[in-house]
Amino acid sequence: MTMSHLPAMSVSLLLASASTGAVAGDRELGEYLSAECVTCHQLSGRETGAVPRITGWPDEHFVAVMNAYKDKHRDNLIMQTIAGRLAADEIEALAAYFGALQSRSVVK
Amino acid sequence: MDFNRRQLLTGAAAVAGATMLGSPSVLAQAKPRVVVIGGGAGGATAAKYIAKDSAGAIAVTLVEPNANYQTCFHSNLYLGGFRDYASITHEYTALAKNNGIDLVRDRATMIDRDKKEVVLAGGRRLPYDRLVVSPGIDLKYDSVPGWSQAAEEAMPHAWKPGAQTLLLRKRLDAVPNGGVIVMIAPPNPYRCPPGPYERISMMAHSLKAAGKDRCKIFVIDPKESFSKQGLFQEGWEKYYKGMVEWLGPKVHDGLKSVDPASGTVVTGFETYKNAALVNVIPAQMAGAIARDSGLANASGFCAIDPSSMKSAVDANIYVLGDACIAGDMPKSAFSANSQAKVAAMMIRGELVAARTFPARYTNTCWSLIETDDCVKVGGAYEAKDGKIAASSTFVSKTGETAEMRKQQQAENMGWYAGITADMLG
Repeated sequence: MTMSHLPAMSVSLLLASASTGAVAGDRELGEYLSAECVTCHQLSGRETGAVPRITGWPDEHFVAVMNAYKDKHRDNLIMQTIAGRLAADEIEALAAYFGALQSRSVVK
Repeated sequence: MDFNRRQLLTGAAAVAGATMLGSPSVLAQAKPRVVVIGGGAGGATAAKYIAKDSAGAIAVTLVEPNANYQTCFHSNLYLGGFRDYASITHEYTALAKNNGIDLVRDRATMIDRDKKEVVLAGGRRLPYDRLVVSPGIDLKYDSVPGWSQAAEEAMPHAWKPGAQTLLLRKRLDAVPNGGVIVMIAPPNPYRCPPGPYERISMMAHSLKAAGKDRCKIFVIDPKESFSKQGLFQEGWEKYYKGMVEWLGPKVHDGLKSVDPASGTVVTGFETYKNAALVNVIPAQMAGAIARDSGLANASGFCAIDPSSMKSAVDANIYVLGDACIAGDMPKSAFSANSQAKVAAMMIRGELVAARTFPARYTNTCWSLIETDDCVKVGGAYEAKDGKIAASSTFVSKTGETAEMRKQQQAENMGWYAGITADMLG
């Protein structure tokens, strides 16, 4: 599944919610943890092959997707392994970090 | 905390900062200096992350003799005709420019660990506060009787990228239908554990696609088993029936010698004469600069602290990638990239008091067996019991659906674009 259906508007909603924060992740922790994501997922938001964009998602959505991998409801060996060792606050930190990155139209 | 300490490093408070941090040698100069030896997946990533995340507070110099970077990863896809050579060739320009890295195109010939200086072939000496050593592997030319560096044209290894990659492809394309290919597989530990077996698959694909399906590839392996064995053997049976014969040590009874002039390979079991192509992948060791500097142990590779990637023998040096002993992690570009990020964080912690977190590592290796049939193996790793230990691993299963295998190849291509952008962007 890709997130290309997300409307661009969600970015401004996200930025608005970043200060109030329904999900309040530690962005600095998120930036460190993000290093293992960006070996495959590009910070620019560019999508190549079967590796989707993960920048600019609403925090709640990011957390829900990662939890689905962690609980093995979603089927991908790599993502299950990555998400499997992330604690709840770490997933929130990643959501905060990637969520706040400027989303742009998907470049194939 | 991070911000406050950085402020202390500059301006009038520098002396107070030096006392507080107890590290005057680092603070005596304007900026702490990091030198990185080797512009591969470990070195390029480390240089980038130190420079990028310190935002100019650390002076980063990357020493790399080659003008361009040819990836070893996906060179098998070039061999199989799934990629062109240009697509596995990259420039360092953007890495240096985007991140403010001083790129020095020269070869590091010596590390003066007492003076904390790297000596370059051109004579320049580069002082460092912290040094990252990521030279990759050197080949043990004497590990295969009869083979030598002088014989690498006649019997190519193609286990270091560049001219050898091109040569192996050229030689493969010249194999006549019915020709015999012999691969001498390497003993552990070596760069890219599934690599020889993906290469066999890509060779077979290329031969078959060219209508040369009477060719035969013999694999003389010193190991009893190999990475993703069941998956590869399933694929060879399915796609290349009769074209690939893998022989373990109990069957071939030892590699006795090769003769590059006549294309002969002698094992205890059989002699292969007039082989159209012999691909020798020899035993390996850490790159010379690491060994010559006393960073490697008797194994030929470099012991590290698994919680930081710091050399076990020098607190000012970090060793990354194929040259280090990374416990359960395989020698792969993905591993090197992952290790580099841990080292970069720890180095920033030491030099500019950046926040640090416990080390964690990741790896995945994809292997293409035939068009749209890709398998993967990987894991998550952490420092445990004095080594980098796997906390969780996975591997593709035999009998997976065609759809899943195709999806994995799309992941493989996405990963390549991702890691090269991550390393060199």
